[in-house]
Amino acid sequence: MFFHYVDLSWRSLKRTPMVSLLMVIAIAVGIGITMTSLSVYHMMSADPIPSKSTQLHHVQLQTMDDGRDWWSDDNMPYQVTYPDAINLLNADLPYRRTAMIAAGFAVHVDDSDMKPFLERARVANADLFSMFNLEFIYGSAWTRNDEDSQASVVVISQSLNDTLFQGENSVGKTINLDGMTVRIVGVIKDWPTYVKYYDLNNGAFRDPEHIFLPFSLIAPNEIITWGNSNGWKAENVRGFQDKLKSEQFWVQFWVDLPTDEDELAYGQFLMSYMAEQQKLGRFARKELDFALRDVKQMMVYREVVNEDNKILVMLSFMFLAVCLANILGLLLAKFLRRAPEVGVRRALGASKTQVFIQHLVEVGLLGVIGGILGIFIAQAGLWGMRKSNDAYTVIADMDLTMLLSAPAIAVSVCILAGLYPAWLVCRTTPATYLKSQ
Amino acid sequence: MLNMNGISKVYQTEMVQTHALRDFDLQVNEGEFIAVTGPSGSGKTTFLNIAGVLEPFTQGQYLLDGVDIGKLNDNQRADIRNQKIGYIFQGFNLIPDLNLYENVEVPLRYRGIKAAERKRRIESSLEQVGLASRAKHLPQQLSGGQQQRVAIARALAGKPRFLLADEPTGNLDSLMARQVMELLEQINRDGATIVMVTHDPELARRAPRNIQVVDGQIADFSLYQGNPAAVVGA
Ligand SMILES: Nc1ncnc2c1ncn2[C@@H]1O[C@H](COP(=O)(O)OP(=O)(O)OP(=O)(O)O)[C@@H](O)[C@H]1O
Ligand SMILES: [Mg+2]
Repeated sequence: MFFHYVDLSWRSLKRTPMVSLLMVIAIAVGIGITMTSLSVYHMMSADPIPSKSTQLHHVQLQTMDDGRDWWSDDNMPYQVTYPDAINLLNADLPYRRTAMIAAGFAVHVDDSDMKPFLERARVANADLFSMFNLEFIYGSAWTRNDEDSQASVVVISQSLNDTLFQGENSVGKTINLDGMTVRIVGVIKDWPTYVKYYDLNNGAFRDPEHIFLPFSLIAPNEIITWGNSNGWKAENVRGFQDKLKSEQFWVQFWVDLPTDEDELAYGQFLMSYMAEQQKLGRFARKELDFALRDVKQMMVYREVVNEDNKILVMLSFMFLAVCLANILGLLLAKFLRRAPEVGVRRALGASKTQVFIQHLVEVGLLGVIGGILGIFIAQAGLWGMRKSNDAYTVIADMDLTMLLSAPAIAVSVCILAGLYPAWLVCRTTPATYLKSQ
Repeated sequence: MLNMNGISKVYQTEMVQTHALRDFDLQVNEGEFIAVTGPSGSGKTTFLNIAGVLEPFTQGQYLLDGVDIGKLNDNQRADIRNQKIGYIFQGFNLIPDLNLYENVEVPLRYRGIKAAERKRRIESSLEQVGLASRAKHLPQQLSGGQQQRVAIARALAGKPRFLLADEPTGNLDSLMARQVMELLEQINRDGATIVMVTHDPELARRAPRNIQVVDGQIADFSLYQGNPAAVVGA
C-alpha cells in the first residue's frame, strides 16, 4: 500500500506541476537556509578531538589579589603568568603538560630565492605533540634535553615543509625565524582541527600554526607573544625580562589528566602550589581558586558557539516555519480541491486513516524532493560563507550527519505542515460529492 | 438483510430544511432484486446513500445483516462499505488520475486483496462490460456510456453481496442498457442482493420487485410486485 501511495502522490504532484514546484522550492529554500546555519553550528560545536577531549585540561589560576575583577564569567583570568607556567612545567608530576603562546616570525631559508614571509608560530613544550595527537611524518619532537639546554630546534608542518622544501625530508636543515636560526627536528601533518580549541584567546576559527618552537626559547630569544597579554596590577614592566617576571597573563597551560583521580590529584597540587606561592608574597587573597576545564568545557566556557550563532540557527528555523506556513496554505487548497475524489475513495471503503496516510505520504514525498534540493542550496550557501570570510573556510562544510539530516528534517517539517490539511481532507463525508459529477 | 424502520433524513442548509426522507420503512431480503422509481428529487439517491452506509440519517433504525448501522463508528462503517457493498453511482465518480484498470482496482486495494487476484477480477469485470481493451485509458478519454460501464465494472469486481445502483443505465443506449440489466440479473442469480434506482419503466418492469419513492416516502410498493405481466397487460 505504501508504494501505491507513493505512486498516487507522484501522479498528484505531476498533475499540478506549478503548485508542486512552488512547494518544493519553498521547502528547498527553507531547508537550504536552515541546513546552512545548522551545519556551521554543528561544525562549531563538534568535538575537535574526541579521543582526548575529556582528558586534556586547561589550567586557570586565580592569581589576582582580593578585590580585583576579571571580565570572565567566573572572574578567573583566561591565561597564566610566565612564572606560574614555568613552575607548573617544573613540577615533578607524572602528567604530560605544555605551556604555550602564540608567536610569529619572518621565515626565510638560506640559499633560497624565496622571499621571507610572515608565519604564525606556537611556542610550546615537547609534550604538545603527543597530547594533541599530532602525527610526525619526518623526525620527531624535540627532547626534554633540548628544552633544558635551550636548543634552537623547530618542528614544522607538512604544508610549510612543502613550501620551503618541496615536501622532502627536511630534518636537520635549518631555517631562519626573524634573526634566529633553528634546526628542523620534525615535520608533522598539518594540525587537523577547524576549531583552535587549544588557544581560544584570539578567535576560535583560525588556521592552526605551522611552526612549533620549544617554550624554553622564549627567555633567551625574547620571543614576544602574538596573542593577548593582560595585567591587573600596576607593575613596572620596562623590558622583556620584566615581563617574564610580571603578573601579566599571556601563557596558556594544558595538562593531560587521563582519569578523574588524576584530575583530583592535579587540583590538589594546584592548591598546594598556590599556598606555597602565597608564602612568597603572591596571591594576596582569602580564597585560593583554580579552574581545570577539559576541551569541551573550555569550548562552552569561551563560547566557541556564541549567542549570534544560536540566534542565526533560530532565525533560520523561523524562516523555515514561514516556508512551512506557505506550504500549509498550498496543501490546504490542493487537498480540499480533491475532496470529491476522496469522497469516492471513502465510499469505496477507504478508512479515514488510509486517506490520511495517503495524503501524508504525498507531503512526505514533497519533503524528500525538497530536502534533496535543499542540500544543494545549503552547499551553495556554505560555499558563499567560505568565500565571504576566511574564518569560515574550515567550518562551513557539511558532514554526513548533516547531509542525512537535511531530508529527514524536510520530511518531518512537511509532515508537520501536512497534518492539518490531511486531517481536513480525511474527514470528507463519503456521500457529499456523490450525488452528481 | 436490510431492515429500515422509520428512517428520516433532514438536510439543513442555512435557512432551508429539506426532508429528503420521512418515516421511511423498507425490508429487503437476501437475494432480492428491487427497482426503485420516483420523481426527481423524491429522495431515491438519499435512500440509496443511507442504505449504502454512505450517509448518516436523522432518525429511525437501520439494520444491515442484523447490525445496527446507527451505532457504528466511522471505521466500522468504512469496513462495511468495503466488505459488503458495491455501488454504481448516479454520477460515475471515476477518479480522473487513474486509468480504467486502476479505477476498478480502488475498492479491491482497500479490501486488501492480493495483486494477482486483483488482476484476475479487474480483467474479468472489464471484460464483462466490454472494455477490456481500454484498460489503460483514462476516464476522460471515454464516452459517458463507457464511463458508466467502468463504474459498473468497479462495483462488480468487488463481488459485493449487496449492490446499490443509482441510474446505472442512465447514460447508455437501450441496447447497452439491456446488456447491463442482463449483467445485473446474472449477478443477482449468483446471489447478490440488488437495489437499483431507474427512470426507465421498462427496466423497472424487469425487476422482480418495484418500489416507488414519492416525496421521501414509499408510495406504493405492491404495484408491480412479483407480477410484471400485470403491467404489460394494464
Ligand atoms: N446534500 C444535500 N443538502 C441539501 N439538500 C439535499 C442534499 N442532497 C439532497 N438534497 C435534497 O433532498 C431531496 C432528495 O434528493 P435526492 O438526491 O435523494 O433525489 P433523487 O430522488 O435521487 O432525485 P434524482 O432523480 O433527480 O436523482 C432533494 O430535494 C434534494 O434537493
Ligand atoms: Mg438521484
